[in-house]
Amino acid sequence: MKLTVNGRPREIEGAPLTTLLHVLREELGVTSPKAGCEQGGCGACTVLVDGEPQRACLTPVGAIDGSEVTTVEGLGAPESLSALQQAFTHHYAAQCGFCTSGMLMAAEAYIARGGTDDREAIQEALAGHVCRCTGYVKIIDAVAAAARGDAFDLTVTAAGTAMTNLGGVS
Amino acid sequence: MKAVGARLPRYDGIEHVTGRTTYVDDVRVPGMLWVKALRSPVHSAAMSGLDTTKAEAMPGVHAVVTHADVPLLEYGHLSALGIPADEPLLAKDEVRYKGQPIALVAAEDEETALAAVDAITVDFEERTPLLDVRRAFDDDAPTVHQWGNWYTHFEGEMDRRQIRKGSIDDAFEQADVIVQGVYRPAAIEHVPLETQVALVVPEANGRLTIYSCTQALYFSMGVVAAHLQVPLNKLKVVGGTVGGGFGGKVDTATETMCALLAQKSGRPVKWRWTREEEFLCSSTRAPWHMEIADAVTKDGWILGRKMLTLHDSGAYARFSPYGLTKHSFHHTGAYTIPNLSFDGFVVFTNRVPTTAMRGFGVTSVSFATETHMSRIADVLGLDPYEVRLKNANRVGDTSPNRIVYTDPSTVSVVKALAGGMDVELATEYAAMTRDPREGDLLPAHLVGQLGNPEDH
Repeated sequence: MKLTVNGRPREIEGAPLTTLLHVLREELGVTSPKAGCEQGGCGACTVLVDGEPQRACLTPVGAIDGSEVTTVEGLGAPESLSALQQAFTHHYAAQCGFCTSGMLMAAEAYIARGGTDDREAIQEALAGHVCRCTGYVKIIDAVAAAARGDAFDLTVTAAGTAMTNLGGVS
Repeated sequence: MKAVGARLPRYDGIEHVTGRTTYVDDVRVPGMLWVKALRSPVHSAAMSGLDTTKAEAMPGVHAVVTHADVPLLEYGHLSALGIPADEPLLAKDEVRYKGQPIALVAAEDEETALAAVDAITVDFEERTPLLDVRRAFDDDAPTVHQWGNWYTHFEGEMDRRQIRKGSIDDAFEQADVIVQGVYRPAAIEHVPLETQVALVVPEANGRLTIYSCTQALYFSMGVVAAHLQVPLNKLKVVGGTVGGGFGGKVDTATETMCALLAQKSGRPVKWRWTREEEFLCSSTRAPWHMEIADAVTKDGWILGRKMLTLHDSGAYARFSPYGLTKHSFHHTGAYTIPNLSFDGFVVFTNRVPTTAMRGFGVTSVSFATETHMSRIADVLGLDPYEVRLKNANRVGDTSPNRIVYTDPSTVSVVKALAGGMDVELATEYAAMTRDPREGDLLPAHLVGQLGNPEDH
């Protein structure tokens, strides 16, 4: 089987019924999708399969042979954050961070299909994604900001350290 | 003070949004084994005939551990503070809660480990469990714990946390009304998105490197060292990245058992609980049973409080004596009551051991006391804000454990709350401050309880 993972072609050795989550984490070493519940309930393993958000823990890899898979690693690196990653950073949308990968991927798909900053629509798009730190308001703020195309003053150094807005911009 | 009022970047923010944060489950080491546990399928039973021979002989299985492999079987989470140990790392002769670990297997993959767990045999002689704290004191209640049905080792070997202040009998004699309430918040599972997980790597120099999701790294280090009977310098504990804890990762849940398996197999081992294990076997916030009877006057002064608390500790003590102690110190809430009689028990049941969760021991009593304040207002036909402001902690008042308040915030918080709810307070309450009670503002019943903030 073959997958294109974050733009890179990969040969998959796992059996067809192996979950995509297991293949990504244990076979390919792509660790941003998290094993939060492994039963489709929490959303922490969500990745894009041909642009659509899917629970990697419920996806047998054999069912998506030949597909393109995108994870957070494929969105942007510290020195080249995507608009959505910048919005999450600016709005403090990541708390413990464990749900963040899944939230980002669901939000990425929402914005790609023309999603707006309508909060109810964002809630609908993120339904089924659990943030047990309960930071939902900031997550929705971030997705809305990215959907609007807000610009942020995030100065990212080469070392990957954001030194932003010191001095009191809210 | 450059940071106050400034927008500061989270030190781990960029790592979180780029998927680069390395949680325990993301650490990669070659040759790692997976762990699965045999857990008690019943709430309470005598246990015999534990046999792991078949499991050990299975291909792909590298180590099996039981109680016989633990150098110090019983160690308490608060042993270092003088609270005696009561909980075996792995069950020996009996199981006291459903999900209690009995044996662990480290194997090449999770499927092999699960098959080996199934191959372990053990006999249970099931007993009637005790699941309701209110039955713990009955003559015919099942005995849950080696110390009986409640903790008996508070200072001076007292069997309860007890507070006596002022004269409770006088308060109840002077009262116009007695207002009673029973409050029973249920257990809550923390449900961190990252389940309990540890990875332990045996190093060539004889040390163990322990990757832990703990919220309390030095607790974990001490607990592992004690069970293994090794000095601290044999352990390198790597923590600090927690995928949600909320108090549930204060207990040392996985590190010690992984350390034993790493020692025995000579291989790195990882134990990552399933969501089902997390729900069924991990510690929860305790269910509490609280009974309050307040002696109050018609105009809303609380003269005295009698309170009984039963804290459901589950099958073992863990941090519960500490949690109940905090609870007792807060049993008047944000208010000053001069005459107190409090008795709190750490009660054992055949439920999962309970632990900290966001305000350990205090959220329960805050729920009870705030609900009770509103109940007093209801019973007396008074404004609930005014009853709160009247009895609010003021500078110079003393807490149940006789701490003199120097910086109480009750008045400002209640006034802010009223403002937020568009509630118009009567002039005398709107003008109230936290300043010491004196002159007309000092009711007779509070004269004797005032402390001097300068003494604090």
